[in-house]
Amino acid sequence: MHKLLVDLQIAWRSLIQHGRRTLLLGGALASVTTLLILLNGLSTGVRETMISTATTLTTGYLNIGGFFKVTAGQSGPVVTKFPEVIAAAKRVLPEITYTVHRGRGWAKMVSETSSMQVGIGGIDIKDEPKFREALQLASGNLDDLAEPNSVLIFANQAEKLDLKVGDAVTISAATSRGTNNTIDLKVVAIARSIGLLSMWNVYIPSQSLRKLYQLNDDATGAIHLFFKDSDLSRLPQLAAKLRTGLEKEGYRVMDADPRAFWMKFQSVNREDWTGQKLDVTSWEDEVSFMTWTLKALQGVSFILLLILVAIVVVGIMNTMWIAIRERTREIGTLRAIGMQRGSVAWMFLLESLLLGLFGTILGAVGGTLIAAGVNAAHVAVPLPVQLFLMSDHLKLAVHPPLVFGAIFLITLVTSLAALYPSLRAARLRPVTAMQHFG
Amino acid sequence: MTTWFGQTLGRRAILKWGTLAGALALWGGSTAVLPQVAHAAATTAELVAILKQVDDRQRNGGDWMSNVYIEQKEKDKVDVVYDARVFRRSQDQKFMILFDKPKSSQGQGYLRLDQNLWFYDPSVGRWERRTERERIGGTNSRRSDFDESRLAEEYDPTDDGEEKLGAYTAQKMTLNGKKGLDLAFPMIKLWVDKDTKNVLKRQEFALSGKLLRTSYYPKWKKAYSESKKADVWYPQEIRFYDEVEKANSTLILIRAVDMHPLAANLFTKAWLESKSR
Repeated sequence: MHKLLVDLQIAWRSLIQHGRRTLLLGGALASVTTLLILLNGLSTGVRETMISTATTLTTGYLNIGGFFKVTAGQSGPVVTKFPEVIAAAKRVLPEITYTVHRGRGWAKMVSETSSMQVGIGGIDIKDEPKFREALQLASGNLDDLAEPNSVLIFANQAEKLDLKVGDAVTISAATSRGTNNTIDLKVVAIARSIGLLSMWNVYIPSQSLRKLYQLNDDATGAIHLFFKDSDLSRLPQLAAKLRTGLEKEGYRVMDADPRAFWMKFQSVNREDWTGQKLDVTSWEDEVSFMTWTLKALQGVSFILLLILVAIVVVGIMNTMWIAIRERTREIGTLRAIGMQRGSVAWMFLLESLLLGLFGTILGAVGGTLIAAGVNAAHVAVPLPVQLFLMSDHLKLAVHPPLVFGAIFLITLVTSLAALYPSLRAARLRPVTAMQHFG
Repeated sequence: MTTWFGQTLGRRAILKWGTLAGALALWGGSTAVLPQVAHAAATTAELVAILKQVDDRQRNGGDWMSNVYIEQKEKDKVDVVYDARVFRRSQDQKFMILFDKPKSSQGQGYLRLDQNLWFYDPSVGRWERRTERERIGGTNSRRSDFDESRLAEEYDPTDDGEEKLGAYTAQKMTLNGKKGLDLAFPMIKLWVDKDTKNVLKRQEFALSGKLLRTSYYPKWKKAYSESKKADVWYPQEIRFYDEVEKANSTLILIRAVDMHPLAANLFTKAWLESKSR
């Protein structure tokens, strides 16, 4: 222990002695750590926003959706007798904490001036307190969505269709038997846009959706299943268990297909079956059309990380070579008075370890403070970026594991980069080293 | 307006003026407030007989090929225009549409086989099963608009009296879809020319009772059918007006009708695929 303290003291003094070099290299390491933390904070922030928004607006952690086909060529996103399906799901997965059910539809919404295709969510607003937490209303009252023939739209849709609260719209769709139907709705609330999901989603009371599609009271579009956050990492296993379990309960279950339900209509219509088939999906499947942005962001972060690591490695090795060259006579003297080769290598290694540790801690503190500042400032982002961030402002999620991970990673890389030069220094012969001038 | 169309333009004049004038005359006559022509209420049997006549005049009981021009106008969008060929075979209710123009749609087609409507897109080389009530080429026209009329089989009529449509006296009736049949429009209001039994106007309603589409048939033409051994009537022009999105309309022109027997292997996926190779 005493020896370690002495070694640390020597390393510290050496760093102080070469102040300018230490400052430059330490600063570079701190910057790399800050950048790493901010990049990871951004992708974690996007992922967290995506999970919280998507799992409130369009999907559960897992979903039991499905298709009902009256004829082989005509499918509707319908789950019949859904209370029985919920009971079966709870028998199969006791981990389920709560469930909600949503109607699903795809229709044309027509205002006095324009029209657009929209995905309709049928919702019982009184049963979903979390829903209002995920939305920020621009105008109107969310409680009014409990009234029949009401609709909640998003600001971008209101702009396109030239609508305000109190205006009327018509939704036109074909029932599951292919008969044209319409429903006249009153806009009761306009929510602020939240990225891609708000481009085409609108919400109407479940009963109104059933009326539009001529569905029975025990029919819905999908059952959203929620679990404890600790179960999030086990979702693929839970989904597989649910599929097998539902089959054992006598339901026909579709093969796993990691796509959103609306992307499956073509393939489902091609298949030669009629009646009900259930489809188990995860939240990632249902927002797979957007997760590419997250993957792209993570990919860019990874490439940047590789570049930064390469810069760190080259920088550290270079600096160590310079240090060794400068201190060759010192190494020779230390070896001549009895210092072992291992101790010489350890001395240099410890020096870079200390440098790495202090640099990364400094960078981590800087990164955390910057992230906190950005979050507090509610930095607004332009609309195209909002589509992918699913938020109108920048959110950086910097959590302790991320910070410690960054410190550990950069320090480790720094130490590993110093390993080879340190070993080379230890291999110097005392006589040669002492005669070195330079 | 009513007087002008009703008194100045006779039926012959409307046809002579061409299709646009015809459509306008029908539109003018139908949208203005018109007194119902007094007449004795038609019985259901009489109305069914009229529907059967309407269907029969258009049925040729054999093969059919025609060129169709489809033009879709939508607000704030570029007009969509298609040239296509329609093939029909009465015996087994086979039906096919093959798109010739524009180039981007060339080779695409719909094929009705065993009560299923299939869509083929040569750019992906794949068949997709579509609903029978599919909007053809994304326009406001349906497969049934190009197929043989089956009103008497699909709907039960009730009398709405007589009405003047421009120079025509029309039997107006409400048709309600028969139970057990899946129909795109569960209710239709129909105006049939009392003299010729040609359809002049149709209004199609949603299940909710909302008016969805108004169609005008300003020009009818006949052609002799060998298989029927009689004349077959067909609308040379149909105009659809979207009543939900008021600015949208679709025009269909039916040309070059040929009722000679078609090749036996025509109504097959292979034949349609071969047209784009």
